[in-house]
Amino acid sequence: MRLRTAIRMNTLRLYWEIAIRSFKRATIYRTAYVAGLLTNAFFAAVRCFVYIAIFDAAESIAGYSLREAISYTWITQALISINAGWISSEIMLTVRSGDVVTDLARPWSFYGYWLSRFLGERAFSLLTRGSLTYLLGVLYFQAHVPSAGEALAFAAALLLAMLVSFALTFMVNLTAFWLVDSTGVIMLANVVLGFFSGFLIPLAFFPPALESIARILPFQAITALPAEIFLGRIAGAALIPALLLQLLWALMLTALALLVLRAAVRKVIIQGG
Amino acid sequence: MLSLYLRLISARIRAQMQYKISFWLELLGFVLVTGLEFAVVAILFARIPALAGWNIAEVALLYGLTSTAFSLAEMAGRGFDAPFELMMQRGTFDIVLIRPLGSFFQVLASEFQLRRLGRTIQGLAVLGFAFARLDIDWSLARLAVLPISLISGSIIYLALIVIGATLCFWTIKTPEVINVFTFGGETVTSYPLSIYSRPLRIVFLGLVPLGIANYPAALLLLGRSDPHGLPAGLAWAAPLVAALSLCRCPGLLASWRQQVSKLRELNFR
Repeated sequence: MRLRTAIRMNTLRLYWEIAIRSFKRATIYRTAYVAGLLTNAFFAAVRCFVYIAIFDAAESIAGYSLREAISYTWITQALISINAGWISSEIMLTVRSGDVVTDLARPWSFYGYWLSRFLGERAFSLLTRGSLTYLLGVLYFQAHVPSAGEALAFAAALLLAMLVSFALTFMVNLTAFWLVDSTGVIMLANVVLGFFSGFLIPLAFFPPALESIARILPFQAITALPAEIFLGRIAGAALIPALLLQLLWALMLTALALLVLRAAVRKVIIQGG
Repeated sequence: MLSLYLRLISARIRAQMQYKISFWLELLGFVLVTGLEFAVVAILFARIPALAGWNIAEVALLYGLTSTAFSLAEMAGRGFDAPFELMMQRGTFDIVLIRPLGSFFQVLASEFQLRRLGRTIQGLAVLGFAFARLDIDWSLARLAVLPISLISGSIIYLALIVIGATLCFWTIKTPEVINVFTFGGETVTSYPLSIYSRPLRIVFLGLVPLGIANYPAALLLLGRSDPHGLPAGLAWAAPLVAALSLCRCPGLLASWRQQVSKLRELNFR
């Protein structure tokens, strides 16, 4: 029994080390993060000018004030740092090159390995690119500064969002086991994700029918829910169902991703043997 | 030269057509991606009657002009994007240099992405929507300004893509920042330029003159005037601006040649 606990501790330590290394690796590409930061800030600023013109004609839209719409824009642009509204193709590339076989043969969970890598890199990205993007929004567009409570709830929502986002990214990338090139699938997934996650505009701006569809889908757990929690639009007792919904999606999508992985591994073995 | 270009391009298109399903899927993808761009605009307009006094059909005109122009530039100019980047990284650009043709021409002729037609279709559809809704008092000048806006716009977009490639000589990777000017420029010029702050207006009228291609043309077509006093007659200056951006304005061709000769020295040493 004690041995089993020791092994489990060591396994956790392994994933921790992978995450730390991924974090350190990210620090090398500082210029890329600065470039990304400027790109995000630019798009946020352009959207803010559009909102300023829009709110000239209306006091509030779908319950959003101008300041809330501006803050929403900046926080969603900042969330790009954790891959919100975007699916990367890193894993697909290892499937295409065949490197994935080595990773699968290693004595660890393939899912755990990529999740740790993902979290380590995203942590760095969030601390630099993400937080600085939002800081620019606060400085130049008076974006919302969250209270301690909002920030704390946001941190929890962010972690859950990353788990949902990773499970989705993993699944979409794994289609490469069947298609070899998943560029088309990733492109299509990014379109759906960008629209239904609330990355392009707040879900509340959608026509009611479209909004209820978006609220049923898992994508809102990646961008819209964390952003609404950050702005304090979801607060108090409403926080619990929102966070539980995120947790539910995280668990369901992770389970689904593991099933897809199992099917994919079987496919590799068939081809290899 | 032109016939050679057409030959090379038709070879590229035949090559792309070998993967028919992939081709049509990606073309459909581009229609969807860009379709959503305009869907967002439409969703916003469902909540408000007008944006800075512009109704949805008028904004659709701006969007359609810039989006169609961008799609044409992407179709013709993507040789300067990924294929060129790959040439730089693998060192195969040397092969281009020993052929008895200009390197600029060769890179331009190295790729033609017909699937970008997806964006063109969408852009033209939005333009069609705009013209159906708008009651434009057509005159010869207004008819002429349309192709002028589209052609100058695509040339300016093309110039931006080439600038990105020129930067590649130093950075080896095409910097992501160029997206701010191409994709970002498309977003900016999709709305009336008057809504932006002064610095942003100056950038998109001067440094990255995408605003000159569609905004004054839209003013002219709609018979509107700019609240900041920008003359609609600027629409006629668009071809000049486009020619300048492609040839001299950012020292583009000069720096291209300079970089090429530097590369040559490096290789012959």
